[in-house]
Amino acid sequence: MTEIGNYLEGDVAAEVRQQLENHLSHCQTCQVLYDSTRKTLKIVTDSGSFDLPDAALKPITAKIMARIRNP
Amino acid sequence: MGYLRETELGLSFPSFAAVREQLGFVPNVLRAQTLLPRVIDAEARILATILFHDQALSRIQKERIALTVAVASRNQYCATLHDQMLSLLGAPEISPAETALLDFALKLGLHGPFISKEDVTGLFEHGWNDESVLEAVLVTALACFLCTLSTGVGAVPDFERKQIPAGNPLHFQVPEASSGPYLRAVELSPDRFAPFVFFRENFGFIPNLYRAQTLRPDVLGAEAGAIGAVLLTEDVLTRVQKERILLAVSAANLNTYCVAVHSEILRVIGVSTENSAQAAADHHLLNFASKLATRPSETGREDIELLRQHGFAEEQILEAVVMTALTNFLNTLQMGLGVNPDFAPDRVFRPTLFEKEHLLAADQRHTNEALVVDPDAEPVARVQAGDLDAFEVLINRHSQRVYRTLVGILGNPEEARDAMQDTFLKAFQHLGDFQGRSKFSTWVVSIASNTGLQRLRERKHTESLDDDGPESEESFRPRQIRAWTDDPEQLYVKSEMRSLVESSVMKLPGKYRVVLVLRDMEQLSTEEAAAALGLGIPALKARLLRGRLMLREALAPHFTGGVMGVPS
Repeated sequence: MTEIGNYLEGDVAAEVRQQLENHLSHCQTCQVLYDSTRKTLKIVTDSGSFDLPDAALKPITAKIMARIRNP
Repeated sequence: MGYLRETELGLSFPSFAAVREQLGFVPNVLRAQTLLPRVIDAEARILATILFHDQALSRIQKERIALTVAVASRNQYCATLHDQMLSLLGAPEISPAETALLDFALKLGLHGPFISKEDVTGLFEHGWNDESVLEAVLVTALACFLCTLSTGVGAVPDFERKQIPAGNPLHFQVPEASSGPYLRAVELSPDRFAPFVFFRENFGFIPNLYRAQTLRPDVLGAEAGAIGAVLLTEDVLTRVQKERILLAVSAANLNTYCVAVHSEILRVIGVSTENSAQAAADHHLLNFASKLATRPSETGREDIELLRQHGFAEEQILEAVVMTALTNFLNTLQMGLGVNPDFAPDRVFRPTLFEKEHLLAADQRHTNEALVVDPDAEPVARVQAGDLDAFEVLINRHSQRVYRTLVGILGNPEEARDAMQDTFLKAFQHLGDFQGRSKFSTWVVSIASNTGLQRLRERKHTESLDDDGPESEESFRPRQIRAWTDDPEQLYVKSEMRSLVESSVMKLPGKYRVVLVLRDMEQLSTEEAAAALGLGIPALKARLLRGRLMLREALAPHFTGGVMGVPS
């Protein structure tokens, strides 16, 4: 499990990577786990989650700038 | 993830398989280009012919050249990549002759217009022959190509980021106009040698640039392949658009040769180099390409976004990046080989004396100390000099990052907005102490992180982010092990996906949520995230994995292959 975590991070030595990829090509469970975790990561990264809309951002920026200009 | 959309090509995509066989993995810079597989094919071939094997130069010598160019270019992605390669290959001492070769590569890679015949003669005096100098030029050009490409696509480092040391200013004399070519070439038949046949068919002649590389026919084959796959295709950007990029970037690189050749080619294919309506429409594209080629440290996600706003599609932006990188490759080759113009140039570009910071001392070349490339250095300096308006630039650039960090920690959007104000006010008050030892973005995220953690401690009934026992991987067993659909992101519209992710992330225990937000949403490095949270690296990694697995578990019911791809 930890190795799969490191693999997702691109943080495994070349030979371990090779072994993992061999294992993944045989083991259905690990393959599903790896594939779905990778997809999870992509979904999280691409989803634009917790983006603050411009409309909400503008007044906050204005408040900050006002406090800075007139301390 | 990089700046551009990616698709899945699968482990069996032949070029990925070929690269993985050599490197043991597929670098993110290639994974970032999956929208255009033909381009990846061409690049894989270039990598294989130029970099992957011991030839006149050893693989280690080549990686050192590539690392030197990447470090001097302050390209985090490539420096990390080549550094990792070298650490796997093992690195014997650098001989004086190799030092000379690295100095040459450095000058060619960063200050190509200053290269003259004397630089190459100097290498011969160190015992290098034509074949090895040609390879040094090729590897330097490839390193420039990879630096431009990785910057343009926003490739995420494949390994833990290495920080790179700052360097000293370096002066070069403006060289006398010297004649080339600098290296020996052999005759190859323009009728039988396939790459030459290809160039004659497509350009109407065989440019001297290619005649100067005949010691490596295999490389010429790979270059012809790249020209065919990147420049001559019409399906994404037009040939004319790409020729214009080549002209604009070559002019920005002061490359008289490539400007002359491609002006001629544009005349031959019947396009005026005068301004036209199309040229006006491509204004943003060309600005982007020139900036990426010559000021990579200032180029970022905003530039890609600007192109999107002007109506360029993902594939078009990717192709513009690749075309810019290819132009840097060709320009570097020409300057290193001293190739003479095929046509009398209309205009000669000459360098003026200038100074640019980078590495010089040999002992600095392969250290792993800090270089921080900070795109915010300019507005930060303006604020420090009293220009308050510049702070608004910094707020605009980092508000989302700060907000997400705070939501991650506090788990409450309302409170996060409030804490965001505190964060920027604190950042403003302490900006005088900020000395640029880390990036501004990292610094402001750590202020956000401290602000958020402080508020959490002040809450009456606390949701603690503190460790409540060892992170045992055994304590969490995945239960959902049904395969997911191939393209889960297609199942929901963007806003649904977003609220699904937001609600699932919010349900994670705080200590996992914050790590996931910093690493996977903010894309902080492991070290940066650990520092921002005051955690050790092993603890951070354990929480990250756990957080990802928990999130996977929460999302799984929505993405396991329901009937006809409909989520259950």
